[in-house]
Amino acid sequence: MAQLDLEIRSLRKRYGGFTAVDDVSLQVGQGQFVCLLGPSGCGKTTTLRCIAGLEEPDDGEILIGGRQVTHDPPWQRDIAMMFQDFALFPHMSIARQVGFGLEMLKRPKAEIRKRVAEVLAAFEIGGLAERRPASLSGGQRQRVALARAMITEPRILLLDEPIGALDYSLRETVMLELKQVQRRSGISFIWVTHDQNEAFSLGDLVVVMNHARIEQQGTPQEILQRPRTPFVAGFVQGNNVFRGRYTAAGAGHARVGAYLLPAGGPPPAEGAEASFSIRAELLRFNPPADWPNRLAARCLTVEYFGSIRRYILQGPDGALLKLDQFGAEPATIGVGEETVLGWRAADAVLHA
Amino acid sequence: MSTIPLRSPRAYLLALPAAAWMLTAVVAPTLLILWVSFWGGRAFSTASPLTTQNYERFLSNATYLQLVLDSLKQAALLMLLCGVLGYCIAYFLSMKLRNPRWRTALLLAFIIPFWTSALIRAIAWVPFLGVNGVINQALLWLGLADQPVEVFLYSRTGISMAQLSLYTLMASGPVMYMLAQIPPALREAAMTLKAPPLVVFWRVVFPLTLPGVVIGQVLVFLNVMADFATVATIGGNKIALLANLVLNFYEGSQIRAAAVVAVLLMLCMLAGVAAALRVVDIRRLGA
Repeated sequence: MAQLDLEIRSLRKRYGGFTAVDDVSLQVGQGQFVCLLGPSGCGKTTTLRCIAGLEEPDDGEILIGGRQVTHDPPWQRDIAMMFQDFALFPHMSIARQVGFGLEMLKRPKAEIRKRVAEVLAAFEIGGLAERRPASLSGGQRQRVALARAMITEPRILLLDEPIGALDYSLRETVMLELKQVQRRSGISFIWVTHDQNEAFSLGDLVVVMNHARIEQQGTPQEILQRPRTPFVAGFVQGNNVFRGRYTAAGAGHARVGAYLLPAGGPPPAEGAEASFSIRAELLRFNPPADWPNRLAARCLTVEYFGSIRRYILQGPDGALLKLDQFGAEPATIGVGEETVLGWRAADAVLHA
Repeated sequence: MSTIPLRSPRAYLLALPAAAWMLTAVVAPTLLILWVSFWGGRAFSTASPLTTQNYERFLSNATYLQLVLDSLKQAALLMLLCGVLGYCIAYFLSMKLRNPRWRTALLLAFIIPFWTSALIRAIAWVPFLGVNGVINQALLWLGLADQPVEVFLYSRTGISMAQLSLYTLMASGPVMYMLAQIPPALREAAMTLKAPPLVVFWRVVFPLTLPGVVIGQVLVFLNVMADFATVATIGGNKIALLANLVLNFYEGSQIRAAAVVAVLLMLCMLAGVAAALRVVDIRRLGA
């Protein structure tokens, strides 16, 4: 197997009585784009800071490029970092600041000048070389921060909510650019965000964290289609989560409450509280007669997003449900109408 | 953000009370001193003819000129000592002390002495520095000295020690303020760009605190130049600097000579501030 860019083994970090990172393990192959996704306070930023060496873990190991760096200071690690507000040095010109990393590596002056010019040109900020950060726009600062971090060609680039400070209209373009930059450079990106759109559109690997732990890691499709825990199912968009008592139903099937679904991994105890989820686009109005799972619901509201139309419905027990249809199709039911909806047993995902 | 436009009648009206106060309490007396310094003749009256003789007399006296030089040297020494010590204290309090309670406690311990007048604080040093003073007693008791060190009191060393304690905070405060303005992410960014701590300090932290350093230097310079109390009490009658000379002339009823020295003292100070402004535009701070 090829060498890993990053390996984290059972990382732990406590602040007094508060556990910020608990038993986090992660493997990042060469040139991967990894997104750490989770609500604020879930430990994603602390994990990133441990990788950078800005926080000292209480337990566990960090290997960068196969080299043990758990207790090395930041300046001895093969990383670079992009900060939330970019952390540009206000007293340095753009050229000086972008060349800072190479200067620290004691590269010859001529080489630094050449490389800075190249990198500024590559990021289309060549005209800013003599400017100070204060006179730049948000988008320009973001490019400078990226250029400054990438110029030393580190093995890993750590990004802490790197586009959170940008205008919403800029984000999509910047995301696309960053993804291309990452592919071309072959540098592994570890990108921390609380925005699932960022995580799922960018990440080769998405790591969902909650309460200091990793809830699930996998490709965007794995996480979206097969959430492993009720937290992940609830956190990512488009899932309907059901809870109920678990009973085996034979032939690889089980029931949670009244609903039939595939038994999944290690089965919960008979009669134990369990949960499962079903994606909004897999629900169907007026399902075929042979679909085992069905319930009556009343339409509360319809949201139209262009590519999809989302119905928010209320089930008999008062719980809210969402059902997605292609936006190009005409609306099936209107607000206030009663209907029956259902789903195939095979589409439901039992949670651990 | 101000809602009153700059340079509007209302803005000038707002500035009026302060301007009136400054005019009567600062500008008018200063002009008076300047005027008196040019008074000639034998009678001390507003009818005196104007002359430059007072200045000529002062500037032709080598002892007086030496005094100007001594004052500047003393100020330079204190700027260096207070600057270094003050920066270290500011750095320690802002960066190294994580516990906010300890920080407040130490800061208070630092500031409270300043609630008393400079004269009292200067006098308070006498029992410390004397031959039988606290410092000598401690040195003898610790066996670090065989006999009392006489150089502490009534000496330039003693003056410098006292002034160092009096004015370090002035060098420290502005630096502390500037350090607090530096986002921690800047130092972290430098570290992730392979800068070890000393380089982070020299290339990122220090340049960003430079305005604070310069303001501190100006404050120390102005205070040392104007300090007659410490010099008089700790230096005894053996040592005098420019500010003491003003007092001596005044007490000797040589008002015109006192005015000359006061004007020269002010010129030195203005030159110092002008030099500082060339390095950092203090007026732009906090903007």
